[in-house]
Amino acid sequence: MSEPAIWLNGLVKRFHSATAVDGISMIVRSGEIFGFLGANGAGKTTTIRMLCGLTRPTAGTGLIHGLDIWRDRFRARSTYGYVPQHFSLYSDLTVYENLRFFGGAYRVRKGKLRHRIDRLLSEFDLSPQKDILAGSLSGGFKQLLSIACALIHRPSLVFLDEPTAGLDPVHRQYIWDLLYELSEEGTTIFVTTHYMDEAERCTDVGFIQGGRLLAKGSPMDLKNRLRGKLLEVHVEPVMEAIPVLRAVPDVYGVELRSGRLRLQARDPEMLLKGWEKHWPYPHLCWMGHEWVDPDMEDVFMAYSLGTYEADSVPEELETAS
Amino acid sequence: MMGRNFWGAIATITYKEFLHVWRDRRVLLAILIVPPFFTLVFGHAFEETALRDVPALLYDADKTGDSQRLVDLLRSNGTFLWKDWSGPGKNGQTGLLKAGAKAAIIIPAGWGKGLHDGDPKPIQVVLDGTDTDTAPAIQGVLQGVLGEFQMKSRDNMIDTLPDEVFEMGEKLPESVRHEFGSAMTPWTMESKILYNPGLRFIDFLMPGIIGLILQLLTVTLIASTIAREREVGTLSQLLVTPLRQSEIVIGKVVPYLVISLFLIAGTILLSHFHFAVKFRQPLVLALICFLFLLCSLGLGLLISAFSKTQTQAIQFSVFVLLPVLLLSGAFTSLEHFPDTVRMFSQFFPLTHFCNAFRLVNMYNAGISFIAVDLVCLAAGAALTCGAAAVLLRSADD
Repeated sequence: MSEPAIWLNGLVKRFHSATAVDGISMIVRSGEIFGFLGANGAGKTTTIRMLCGLTRPTAGTGLIHGLDIWRDRFRARSTYGYVPQHFSLYSDLTVYENLRFFGGAYRVRKGKLRHRIDRLLSEFDLSPQKDILAGSLSGGFKQLLSIACALIHRPSLVFLDEPTAGLDPVHRQYIWDLLYELSEEGTTIFVTTHYMDEAERCTDVGFIQGGRLLAKGSPMDLKNRLRGKLLEVHVEPVMEAIPVLRAVPDVYGVELRSGRLRLQARDPEMLLKGWEKHWPYPHLCWMGHEWVDPDMEDVFMAYSLGTYEADSVPEELETAS
Repeated sequence: MMGRNFWGAIATITYKEFLHVWRDRRVLLAILIVPPFFTLVFGHAFEETALRDVPALLYDADKTGDSQRLVDLLRSNGTFLWKDWSGPGKNGQTGLLKAGAKAAIIIPAGWGKGLHDGDPKPIQVVLDGTDTDTAPAIQGVLQGVLGEFQMKSRDNMIDTLPDEVFEMGEKLPESVRHEFGSAMTPWTMESKILYNPGLRFIDFLMPGIIGLILQLLTVTLIASTIAREREVGTLSQLLVTPLRQSEIVIGKVVPYLVISLFLIAGTILLSHFHFAVKFRQPLVLALICFLFLLCSLGLGLLISAFSKTQTQAIQFSVFVLLPVLLLSGAFTSLEHFPDTVRMFSQFFPLTHFCNAFRLVNMYNAGISFIAVDLVCLAAGAALTCGAAAVLLRSADD
């Protein structure tokens, strides 16, 4: 196996008394599309900022392409690009000027820079807007420009912090197509997202909660770890049923999916047997049930609800630590 | 480290900063208008130091030929702008405030008679002392007018003395006669003004005005640069590039240094042509200006790196600039302040700028006289820029 793109061992970040990242150990292999999932405030952005050498780890070590994320940060930086969560390019500079500035900042040679900017502009459909001030671009194009700026030095790893947040479906699709193209060219992608359909597209995902990495594996692995199928019930009126079912002791979570209610429960088969014998809610009409395959959203819910058991710690973690 | 990469990185940032200034047309306009405009206004405001047209009240209760001569003398003096007045009220109230006057002068009844009886009565003067500068100045002017009056009276008296007096005088011992003669001759001094022979206050003031305007402009302009990047979020993006903090700091200082050098040259030329201020040793003055601007920009950059938002940066600059403006000796000499305050003022770049600039321009002093100031400015520039670079790093924690 070639050298991993990212190697983390017991990475910790504390701010005053609060612990934002609490001992993360993991490996991201070269060429992977790694999806970093977690609720708001779970520690995703702090982890990325540590990886990029923007904030010093309180404890633990991290390597990017074998270079220490803090000690060797200046050398490491030319090997990766970073697309921050919020648009943070220079609004009063044009698209072209932004690209040229970051090209200079990443020390791209003058001779190559012009050619590279032209290629990025055409690949990202930004050519017609190259002389427009970055601040007056629409949200989607702003994001494309951010990504283009992060790619100006042809890094072998790109960090993207919620690159599709707040974008319309067309631009989301466009950006994911771009990420796939990059990945095919061998670039490692480290992306955080809230969208579970996007998580589905990653080659590997990690779940972080309360600063801890709860699980890491391929989307298929993680879904399989949910052990079997999930119970989906059809009850009317559905909105009234949600609080009622959430109050059932063995039910951890109830989620509305296309008019049906998907349940995360300790023992769904027992629950179903009981209900088929006797439906205890006369004001709710039982219309049937179905067993469905879990998707990433269910995995995310399961982790957020804490219903995963300890046996699901991925074996890779042990090799990393 | 100081290779092609280093200069290339600085050029990249410098170009970007120039674009920021260029795109912000309103601020650009302000930068171009403010220095010459304020130079003109401040220059004219402080061009003359003597008091003129001080509103004052005059009442002659004596109404004799002597008092009339004193009144004429006072009226011909340009210091005062006399207002109509019918004399003090019954309780001796002058009503200064109501009349809008700074001084009331009353020649008491019997004043002229007192002069001839060998019992001169004092002229009564009522002064408004709220403005501590004006009252003593008025007293000085009045004293001068009285002295002039007395001199004229004495000359008059000597001219009209009867011959017997001179005969009597011849009988006095020689030493007494000489002493008497000496006492009757007005004593004078022969003064030679070594520096600023024209006693032009504007020549003293101009370095203060130029320094003050540039101090204000440099600090406030550059104070928002890093803070803005931090506020908008571009600072993270900037720090993720392989750029070093030192390169970012130098790259940010250079464009503002170039702009402010042009501005300071412009104001100096303006004060030369408009106020006829002469400038000596242009190369040394240029060095002083250069170090002063560098130090001021460093100060602004330090404020910027320290602040979390642009608003904070502007607030901090005001807090810092206020004592600088008042205590730097731009408009007054530092001798007015107690020692502890004077030590405090040594921390301001403007203090050293004014001191060095005046030493060179007014005293034509050699470089050894201003060496300490130059070293202070250079050290200040290095310290502030270095601290700004360090603060850039710990943006997060």
